[in-house]
Amino acid sequence: MAEKLVEIKNLKQHFNVGKANEVKAVDGISFDIYKGETLGLVGESGCGKSTTGRSIIRLYDATDGQVLYEGESVHGKKNKKDLKKFNRKMQMIFQDPYASLNQRMKVMDIIAEGIDIHGLAKDANDRKKMVYDLLETVGLNKEHANRYPHEFSGGQRQRLGIARALAVDPDFIIADEPISALDVSIQAQVVNLLKELQEEKGLTYLFIAHDLSMVKYISDRIGVMYFGKLVELAPADELYENPMHPYTQSLLSAIPLPDPNYERNRTRKAYDPAVHNYTDADDVKMREVSPNHFVNCSEKEFAELQERMAAKK
Amino acid sequence: MEKILQVKDLELSFHTFGGEVKAIRGVNFDLYKGETLAIVGESGSGKSVTTKSIMRLLPEATSEFKNGEILFGGRDLTKLSDKEMQKIRGKDISMIFQDPMTSLNPTMPIGRQITEPILKHQKIGKDEAKKVAIDLLRLVGMPKPELRMKQYPHQFSGGQRQRIVIAIALACNPQILIADEPTTALDVTIQAQILELMKDLQKKIDTSIIFITHDLGVVANVADRVAVMYGGKIVEIGTVDEIFYNPQHPYTWGLLSSMPSMDAEDAKLYAIPGTPPDLLDPPKGDAFALRSEYAMKIDMEQPPPFFKVSDTHMAATWLLHPEAPAVEPPEMVIERMKKFPGSRYYEGSAN
Repeated sequence: MAEKLVEIKNLKQHFNVGKANEVKAVDGISFDIYKGETLGLVGESGCGKSTTGRSIIRLYDATDGQVLYEGESVHGKKNKKDLKKFNRKMQMIFQDPYASLNQRMKVMDIIAEGIDIHGLAKDANDRKKMVYDLLETVGLNKEHANRYPHEFSGGQRQRLGIARALAVDPDFIIADEPISALDVSIQAQVVNLLKELQEEKGLTYLFIAHDLSMVKYISDRIGVMYFGKLVELAPADELYENPMHPYTQSLLSAIPLPDPNYERNRTRKAYDPAVHNYTDADDVKMREVSPNHFVNCSEKEFAELQERMAAKK
Repeated sequence: MEKILQVKDLELSFHTFGGEVKAIRGVNFDLYKGETLAIVGESGSGKSVTTKSIMRLLPEATSEFKNGEILFGGRDLTKLSDKEMQKIRGKDISMIFQDPMTSLNPTMPIGRQITEPILKHQKIGKDEAKKVAIDLLRLVGMPKPELRMKQYPHQFSGGQRQRIVIAIALACNPQILIADEPTTALDVTIQAQILELMKDLQKKIDTSIIFITHDLGVVANVADRVAVMYGGKIVEIGTVDEIFYNPQHPYTWGLLSSMPSMDAEDAKLYAIPGTPPDLLDPPKGDAFALRSEYAMKIDMEQPPPFFKVSDTHMAATWLLHPEAPAVEPPEMVIERMKKFPGSRYYEGSAN
């Protein structure tokens, strides 16, 4: 089994705690991210997938639970030096390349910000060279360094966001809907770039998205979230071929594919959480139904799922 | 079939500081009664500008109709006065936009927003308009419509807001509904609901829909016919089956190949190289030639005319010229063509 890079243990992120409008955005989820893999996280808006990503990288202070990076806790009290160490290893790429780049800074300074903070460049020339190299890595060229973000197209800006994340030479990148705002043809370019970089640098990704076909393409494993909870976690192909949780089945049945014949025959399954009929006595948790395929279920459902698996074989 | 809208040789430019941007460079299409025509293409291809020019929603100070006409009900929409246009907008032709939050007024209860077009275009009283509005909300699947009439947009979810926008658009039983990326901002599950709703309503009131999107999955789901736009022109138009299973233009090939298919292995995604053409100075020949591996010498010199593939299918590419060399489309496209009777790769109905 591959080495664990990040372990998320019973992570909870609640907002407005103690008030009437308390929101349990993430409500006790656990999973591991292995070195060098891409873990996809999908679910509808408001299910807590972005919050999960942001809690992992400590943009929010977790309400409860732990995030371990190479065995060390990310949350909790930290001095500046320790924090910096984490910030260098973990980076984030955001959805909206328009909002995530400072309009008043030149590309050179945007990309070099991390380099400056961590003191990675020996001198001004070295800094310049690093930025030029990064621009080239993401398929732009060095002339672009003296421009402002508004002079770029959406796809190019997302490349800048990627270059900025790569500047501090991280091991782990959280990509929060990095392609949702882009055109189809540009999406393919950015996804290819992310894949190439992963092969070259051995990066690990947490890829958050709602476009399921792209997620399947890029991910090794996929987690499905529903209302702050992880409901299913499985290898990408397995999840698509053999979805077990009714919510996952509903989500997959809703994806329109570029194939008119398929579309004419596709029927959508609706998900109603009431089908589970859980009582307080049920111990609902993630259980491994088949190797590496985890489903959030009760004891009874677990037995049924296993029966179904056996029948298939 | 009855033609409800005809766009003929439409050319439109924007005047900017940088010069004249030729956003639409000769667009022709017909819209038939009761059909859904999808327009696809990347940002800047002119798909939104085309529909906005039908609605006359472009800023008059900077945009200019250079040529062509938009015929609706025997009248040319490009020549109507603002007053005449106001009588058509929201009544005969209405529009749904991408972001339901910005297309609703946040300071007005939604009931008033739905009755607004009814009171404006139909001679009925306030009370009756209210009843119509409640019926509309029920029609678009809003629970407890009487209660919700008094609520404000922020009290609704994204999917509900889009339902309200649809209710407003349908308030006067329009003959044409233009939907500009109506589901792009929504989740897959909500998207599926909205698409089902639109198809259902279309059957009930027999509207024609122009559906703009860049999601080819959505196109396959809703469209009867598809127009592919590139660089301010339609490059290919045909029935949904013809475009998806027998595409002829290299740009359509590129678009279809850049979607990951659900059963794709880990091969690299096909990405169309390069960037869209600069319409300040549009290319002389085929606008797609610079990004196309199938480009020939003539593509750099002369814009291709439309070649007829079938009675319903046309494509503007020199590859269809009788003297053009035969080329192999990308593999993913050949896979699609195998399913299409009439294509040279057709494998019979055995599969």
